[in-house]
Amino acid sequence: MDIVRLRESFARVAMHGDELPLFFYSDLFIKHPEVRDLFPVSMEAQRGHLVDALVKIVSQVDSVTELTTFLQGLGRDHRKFGALAEHYDAVGASLLTTLAHFSGPAWTPELAADWRDAYELIGSVMTEAAHADEQVHPPWWRGTVVSYEQRAFDISVLFVRPEPHLDYLPGQSVAIESPSRPKLWRYYSIANAPRVDGLLEFHIRLIDGGAVSLALTSSLITDTQLRLGAPVGVLTLSRPASGRDLLLVAGSTGLAPLKAILDQLTGLPQPPRVHLFFGARTADGLYDLDGLEKLAAQHPWLTVTPVVSAEPKFDGETGSLPDVVARHGNWSGHDAYLAGPTEMVEETVARLTAAGMAQEQIHIEDFGWSEP
Amino acid sequence: MTAAWFDEQSRLTPEELQTVSFPMTRLGRRGYEEEPVQGFLQQVHAEFVRLVNERASLWQEVQRLRRRILAGEDNNDPQAVLFGEADAHVHAVRILSTAQVTADRYVADAQAYSSRVTAEARLRRDDIVREAQQHSDMILEDAHARARDAAVSALNEAAPPQTDRERRAAQAELAYLRTYGDVYRAHLRAYTEGVLRGIEEWERKEASSLQEVSQGQPEVTSGQHGVARGYSDRRSIGH
Repeated sequence: MDIVRLRESFARVAMHGDELPLFFYSDLFIKHPEVRDLFPVSMEAQRGHLVDALVKIVSQVDSVTELTTFLQGLGRDHRKFGALAEHYDAVGASLLTTLAHFSGPAWTPELAADWRDAYELIGSVMTEAAHADEQVHPPWWRGTVVSYEQRAFDISVLFVRPEPHLDYLPGQSVAIESPSRPKLWRYYSIANAPRVDGLLEFHIRLIDGGAVSLALTSSLITDTQLRLGAPVGVLTLSRPASGRDLLLVAGSTGLAPLKAILDQLTGLPQPPRVHLFFGARTADGLYDLDGLEKLAAQHPWLTVTPVVSAEPKFDGETGSLPDVVARHGNWSGHDAYLAGPTEMVEETVARLTAAGMAQEQIHIEDFGWSEP
Repeated sequence: MTAAWFDEQSRLTPEELQTVSFPMTRLGRRGYEEEPVQGFLQQVHAEFVRLVNERASLWQEVQRLRRRILAGEDNNDPQAVLFGEADAHVHAVRILSTAQVTADRYVADAQAYSSRVTAEARLRRDDIVREAQQHSDMILEDAHARARDAAVSALNEAAPPQTDRERRAAQAELAYLRTYGDVYRAHLRAYTEGVLRGIEEWERKEASSLQEVSQGQPEVTSGQHGVARGYSDRRSIGH
């Protein structure tokens, strides 16, 4: 396999922009119409994912370890979409047809062989990872919504019973598919540590124009059967414990993973001291403050500070969450766990880093291969 | 067939347009505004991609025609090569692609519309809540002030010297509460009516915009009835 030739070839076909994945999927669906059912109505996001994955694969094709980790994740992740081993051959054939089509006269037998070898490698790493995962996990879990509660005008809390039993670490997330939005999966953090009855708590914020969140924040959702993907995510308590106290910063429903971690801490014999900042735009966005304050009253090691950014009359801390956290003192001796809107998380990371917190002390979510 | 499709080296690619960056001017010196430059680059990028694709499909068309000519020279059945199997497949791919892009656009438009409507509704809601808070603060303050005055004057006017202290205090308290209640109720009524007027206007606007969309179909009027019923419900909940 000639890596330089492969990269040059990819750079050339990538010039065609969206036409490339468009041709690929149309070719695939004409040759294998049954595969179309694995995809959502709108393919726009899907085409972006395909190109992103190809760009990543081609740029990392010579750093095997990194690429293998990425592809294994991708392979496992594709199980919930219903991808089967035989689909990989169909995809490989359409990929080659597409590359040939856009390469024009530059498509030579040698180049075709390069791409075939590369795809075989990709496909085998993905299918092997998927196969290994089959021994441990189902492709997806059935999740029955057992209760629904609207906490703010745009925030709801769901309790879901997964079947079969679902093992996860507090702070992790699962992808959710609603039956009224087939093939659209969105990641949501589980907001509790594993319970005896196995129930999972989810905090759903209604996103303007969001297809899936709208389907999940309906009062008719009780008894609905959702599908849940395998748990993913690295926003979990470091093991072994660092011995440092904890700073938790939650913006809006970013509270969910941090609440799961809190839940886990309450089960420890000697939990560290924890300071949780819970921020929202307005006071009614602090949808879980009652529960948190109750928790703080029970556990002397926990301090909860609510923060509101767009309601100056709020009786408590006001201002942007990163500002308030920074102004509350020096956190460099703490471990920080942050979750919430990307901007808020990035700004908080910058402020904590500037104040001397080392990178390994800061924990944020990173899904790696999948968009959240 | 032999002519190179692209010069292999030193060709500007659309990707380079997206990643190009220029050095900043020194502070205090004149330079371009970043946003329009980025916008223009994006436009150029899209145009570039379009040209690349147009050129590729023209090249394929040339190939098809060339094959047809070559085959036509030694084949008496032009129909057989007019539209080969490979060409038919590429055509099918193109038709399906067009259909898919159309579907994507419908979904994207619907999503953008719903996003805009909910974002506007959210802003309106924030405004209404903020106004309501300001008004309720004002009403409370005003009612307190007036009731204080009323209590003081009740005390000064009505109390004969012999009345015992408890009765005077009770009278004062009564006057205070009565006036407070009156003022509060009046303000609340005026305010609630104001808010309802605001909502009515808002919903009338929405209904008229719906009317525009549905080109004056009769359901719209019945829809307004439903809306009007909604007010009285809200009013009773509000109290």
